[in-house]
Amino acid sequence: MTKNLFQTLALVFSLSSLYAQDDLLAELEQDAPKTQYAFATWKGTKVVNLQTNELPGKGVLQYTILHRFGAFNDDFFYNFLGLDNAQVRLTLDYSPTSWLNLGVGHTGFLKTYDFFAKYRLVRQSSGAKNMPVSITGFSSAYYSAQRYNDGLERGVGRRMSYVNELVIARKFNQSFSAQLVPTLIHSNLVQRGVDNNTLFALGIAARYKITHMVALTAEYVPVLNPNQYPEVPVDPLALPANPNFVNFNNALSFGLDIETGGHVFQLFVTNARGVAEPYAFGRNQGSWLDGDIHFGFNISRVFTVAR
Amino acid sequence: MKYLAIALFLGLGLQAQKVSTRAGYIKFFSDAAVEDIEAENKQVSSILNLENGQFAFLVPIKAFQFEKALMQEHFNENYLESGQYPNASFKGSIEDYAKIDLSKDGVHNLVFAGKMTLHGVEKSIKEKVLVEVKGGKLGLSSSFKLLASDYEVKIPSSKQDNISNELAITVKMQYD
Repeated sequence: MTKNLFQTLALVFSLSSLYAQDDLLAELEQDAPKTQYAFATWKGTKVVNLQTNELPGKGVLQYTILHRFGAFNDDFFYNFLGLDNAQVRLTLDYSPTSWLNLGVGHTGFLKTYDFFAKYRLVRQSSGAKNMPVSITGFSSAYYSAQRYNDGLERGVGRRMSYVNELVIARKFNQSFSAQLVPTLIHSNLVQRGVDNNTLFALGIAARYKITHMVALTAEYVPVLNPNQYPEVPVDPLALPANPNFVNFNNALSFGLDIETGGHVFQLFVTNARGVAEPYAFGRNQGSWLDGDIHFGFNISRVFTVAR
Repeated sequence: MKYLAIALFLGLGLQAQKVSTRAGYIKFFSDAAVEDIEAENKQVSSILNLENGQFAFLVPIKAFQFEKALMQEHFNENYLESGQYPNASFKGSIEDYAKIDLSKDGVHNLVFAGKMTLHGVEKSIKEKVLVEVKGGKLGLSSSFKLLASDYEVKIPSSKQDNISNELAITVKMQYD
């Protein structure tokens, strides 16, 4: 009993001494929300060709202009540093909620129109709720309106291709972020009967911030089941319908992100010239080793249209 | 068990001398050449000791709401670095608190002083505060200026026409 009494008194004194200390701030900190969500893992919604886990904020309309210029090895100076041979893509997207972004785009290559959805699935957080990564999904459908005069019937179905990306990103610290992007590319029409319609790729990308406004980025998108074409000597008598196919290469890009208020400027070099995802990842003819390197940029501008 | 109950009761009794709020309000306003920037935070928590006028604030930086989502992101990522410093805080007291009679409604022009921590930097501040007593409840309001540079928040020269180094702060607290 006496022992109990002492324990109780000790408890009373410890409690009162706690309050006598009067650390009001410590009391507030005890009650403060314990989960901290990661934000600004990337500056923009794209790395170079891959998506990032970022979405524009709710009520934000985003306009992007993407260019890929001519190759270093293609009469570089005659073509004004490749600027005369620009491939262009334009997109317009809107976020009706904080977790969903919907958009449309047009790409010059194969006269392609597309629409896409990007959706936040999981947010990286620390504290009471611990989640090591952010996960964002991206799904898009592309329609190629290219005219052909080869007599082959191409209905809407044959002109469609699809890309799904699952962006698994982590902001390691204030400067360094990285992501893994399992990617599925499906084309309804491929060049040969034996070709895979569906390609799997595992994109990897990272960024390192040099200053608050400037970051270095790198991105590599290896296709795991590429369509391989045997090396055959060019047959001068071959029919035009059976061209000697070239093998495709994995997209590798290095860039610089510059943020200025409402804009993000991304300047980079890449071997992928077809700006839209199915072309950049699935049918990229450029090779770094052969000097098929292109200057390019992505510029985004955001407008807050609703709160 | 009985003693434990008494102990808890005493503990609660001691706590009851304090009043608090989770819905305190802080606004900041930047008036620069090109644009005005304003953000409001309605999730400030505060606690005040009715006996001696000591009080504290805890300000979750991410809860500042801006007109534009991107502005909010830049505020957190590039300026306040809230990933590293999630909260600003203040700890201090109201001077001449003894002048206040909590049983009478009234408005008191007083001064508060203490230490503010923002962006991981601690500074002593001393500013005017209006204390309002109404129906035995206490409210605080204060307006003052602070310099971003005092708290090592760097505004690059290219942004100096957009963001002022001098920020006008408005604080309003109504304790339960």
